Amino acid sequence: MSFVNIQEVSYTYTSKQPPILNKVTFSIDQGEIVGILGPSGSGKSTLLRLIAGLGTPDRGMISIADQVVVDGQTFVAPEDRGVGMVFQDYALFPHLNVEKNIEFGLHRMSRTERKARLDEMIELVQLQEFRKRYPHELSGGQQQRVALARALAPKPSLLLMDEPFSNLDTELRSSIRDELSAILRKAKMTCLLVTHDYQDVKAICNSEITL
Amino acid sequence: MVFKTLLRNIKMNTNGWLFISLIGVAVILLPVFSIFVSLFAEPNENWEHIKQYMLTNYILQSVGLMLFTGILTVMIGVTLAWLIAAYDFPLKRFFHWALVLPLSIPPYIAAYTYSAMLSYTGVVQTALRSTFGFTPDQKWFDIMSFPGAVFIFTLFLYPYVYMLTRSFLERQSGSYVENAILLGRKPVSIFFRIVLPISQPAIIGSLMLVIFEVISDYGVTSYFGIQTISTAIFQTWFGMYDVDTALRLSAWMMAGVLGLFLIERMLRYNRKYSASTSKSSQLVPKRLKGFSSFAALFFCGAVFACSFLIPVIQLIVWSYWTYEDVLTVAFFELTINTLFVAAIATGMIMFLAVVVANVARLQPNRFGTVLSKLMVSGYSLPGAIIAIGVLTFFIALDERMEFVYLLFGYEDAPLLLSMSLVMLIVAYVVRFMATGYNAVEAGFEKVGMVYTHASRTLGYGITRTFFKVDLFLIKGALMGGTILTFVEIIKELPMALLLRPFNFETLSTKTYQYASDERVIEAAIPSLFIITVSVISVLLFHQLGKKMEK
Ligand SMILES: Nc1ncnc2c1ncn2[C@@H]1O[C@H](COP(=O)(O)OP(=O)(O)OP(=O)(O)O)[C@@H](O)[C@H]1O
Ligand SMILES: [Mg+2]
Repeated sequence: MSFVNIQEVSYTYTSKQPPILNKVTFSIDQGEIVGILGPSGSGKSTLLRLIAGLGTPDRGMISIADQVVVDGQTFVAPEDRGVGMVFQDYALFPHLNVEKNIEFGLHRMSRTERKARLDEMIELVQLQEFRKRYPHELSGGQQQRVALARALAPKPSLLLMDEPFSNLDTELRSSIRDELSAILRKAKMTCLLVTHDYQDVKAICNSEITL
Repeated sequence: MVFKTLLRNIKMNTNGWLFISLIGVAVILLPVFSIFVSLFAEPNENWEHIKQYMLTNYILQSVGLMLFTGILTVMIGVTLAWLIAAYDFPLKRFFHWALVLPLSIPPYIAAYTYSAMLSYTGVVQTALRSTFGFTPDQKWFDIMSFPGAVFIFTLFLYPYVYMLTRSFLERQSGSYVENAILLGRKPVSIFFRIVLPISQPAIIGSLMLVIFEVISDYGVTSYFGIQTISTAIFQTWFGMYDVDTALRLSAWMMAGVLGLFLIERMLRYNRKYSASTSKSSQLVPKRLKGFSSFAALFFCGAVFACSFLIPVIQLIVWSYWTYEDVLTVAFFELTINTLFVAAIATGMIMFLAVVVANVARLQPNRFGTVLSKLMVSGYSLPGAIIAIGVLTFFIALDERMEFVYLLFGYEDAPLLLSMSLVMLIVAYVVRFMATGYNAVEAGFEKVGMVYTHASRTLGYGITRTFFKVDLFLIKGALMGGTILTFVEIIKELPMALLLRPFNFETLSTKTYQYASDERVIEAAIPSLFIITVSVISVLLFHQLGKKMEK
C-alpha cells in the first residue's frame, strides 16, 4: 500500500476558468522522494496546497498514511495532517526571529528536546550566526533556508516543498540538496518536491510527475 | 453524496468563531428586524394624521437637505482636491492635511457655535456695531434656517469628498491629465472634461458618506427648527411617547436609505469610464504663479478659516470665559462616563469585528461575503432608526423577562434592560461596527493568507494561529480601527439622546443640553474636548496612513 494516494483530484479557482487540476492521480511510497515538474501556472503549488489541507478539492480523494484526509465526506484540518510545507514565498513570520520561526512547530516537544532539535536544524541550514535575526534582515537564500528548517523541524511524515532551492547559488544548492536528501532518507520521510530544475530531480528524486 | 459533502463543509467550518460571528450578525440585524416586525401592528391615529398632513413635508425637507448639501460638498470638495493634487502654491503642504480637520467638528457643535457667533450679541454683529456704528438687518444673519443648515453641513462634511477625491486623483489620474495637456486643453476644460468624470467613483463613494451624515443628523436640524424625518422620529418618541409612529417613520426612512443604495448601484454600473486600469500613474503637481497662486491660497485659506479656525478660536475664547463655571466635579464625572461607555462599545466592536473578519477570510465563499456585508450594514442606518429599533427590542425583551425579574425579588416588573446602559452600548455597536470592521478587514487583506497557512501546517488550529500569528500582523490596523471607532462614538449625538439612562449625560448630550437651554457659550468646553480628541485621531491617522504607504 502506498503512503500517499491522490485519486482523480480536480480543482477550480473560479467557475469561469477551466479547472487548474483535472483528475490528477498518482501515489507515493513511504520514504520516496518525488519531483513535480511543470510549466509556470500549471497548478503545482495548488496541488501542494490541497495535499496540505489549505484548500478543498472540488472532486477526488487524498489519503496519507492509510487515512483519508479529504474526499466527498471527510476533511481533516491542516494542523492534524502531519504534513510539513516549505512555501514558495517562504512565509516566514515577520514578527519572529530565526530561532523562534524554526521553533514554531515544536510546541509538542519538551523544552530540552526543542532546544536540541533547534540546534540540529540551524546547523543543517548553516545559519548559526543568524539565530537572532528577523526575516527582513536576511537575504532571499537565507530566508529560504530558514523556511526549510522550519518545515523539517517537527519531523512531518510527509514534507511538501515548493521550489525550496530556487534562491540558492549553485554551490549552496548542491550541498543543501545532498544533506537534505540524506536526512530525508535517514528519517524515512516521504517528500514531494516542486522544481523547475531537472538537476534537482536527477540528484535526489526517486521518480517524477509532470503536470 | 451532495448532502454528505454539504455536511462535511458545515462541519469543517463550525467552531467557536462561527458562533460568535452569528451572534454578532444577529446583534447588527436586531434593530432592522424589530422595526420590520412592528410594521404588522395596526397603525394608530397619530400615524394617520402624520401620514396625511406632515409626511410629505418631512420627506421634502430631508431630500432638499441631502440634495443641496450634496451638490455643494461636491463643488467645494472636488475643487479643493484638484487644487491640492494638481498644483503647487504657498502653504499647499499644510492645506493637504489641514483641509481634513473640519471632520473633527461634529456639525451640531458647528451649528451652535455659528448661530451664537452670528446672533445679535455675537462677535460678528457686536463688531459691526462698535466699529462701524452699523446695525444690520437681523435677516442677514439668520443662520437658523434651511440655507443655514445647508451651509453648516457643507462646511463640515466637504472633507469626505475632498479626502477621497484627492487621494484618487493623486494616485490615478496622471496619464489622463498628461494626455489632455498634450492635446492642448485648458485647465478649466481639463477639470470638467477629465477630472470630474474620472473621479466619479471616488465622488459617489464620498457623497454617500455625506448624505448618510445628513440623513442621520438630529443636532443641526432640531436646533435650526427644520422638520426632517429624523427630527420627526424624535418628536413622536420624546414628545408623545408614541413608539409605534416612530417605528413607522423609521420604516419610511429605511425605504429611503434602500432607495439611495439602489441609486448608488446604478450610478456605479452606468459608469462610462473605468479608471481601474491596473497601471496607476501619479499626478505631478504644477507650480502656480502670480495671481492664480494667490487665488488658490485665498480659496483654501477661506475654506479652512470658516470650517475650522474661526469656530475653534471662538470656542477657545468661550471656554476661557466659562471654565470656572463649567469645570465642576459633575463635568469630570460626565467625561469619565463618556470615555467609559465609548471604551466598552469600542472594545465590543473590535472584538466582534476581528472574529467575523477572520471567519469571513477563512471562508472565501458566498457565506463569508454575506457575513461581512451584513456586518457593515449598520453604518447606513440613521442613528434614529437604530435607536428606535433597539428600544423596541429591549422593551419587548423586558416584558418577556418579567417573570425572571419577579423571581429575583423585584417588585412589579421593572424595565431593567431598557433603563440601563446596555441599550446605548448595543446601539453604538450596531451603528459603528462598520468603522472597526473595515479597518480590520483591510488589515487582514494586506497580510494575506500565507502566514496563517504556514502556522496551520506547523500544527496550530485557527484559534492558536490567531493569537500567535494573525494578531501581531494586524496590530496596526486594529489600533487604527479602535481609534476611529472610539472617536465616532464620542461624537455621536442622536442615539445617546434617545437611549441614555435617566440622569446619564455624555459630553455630546451635555453640549446639546447647554445649547437647547440657550447657554451655548457654556457648551464650549465639552465641545472643545470632543474636537480635541477627534483632531488627535485625525492626525494619528494621517501619520499611520503615511507609514503604511512606505
Ligand atoms: N487565489 C487564486 N485565485 C485564482 N486563480 C489562482 C489563484 N491562485 C492561483 N491561481 C491560478 O491557478 C493557476 C495555477 O497556479 P499555481 O500557483 O498552482 O501554479 P504553479 O504551477 O505553482 O506556478 P509557478 O511555477 O509559477 O509557481 C495559475 O494560472 C494561477 O493564475
Ligand atoms: Mg508555484
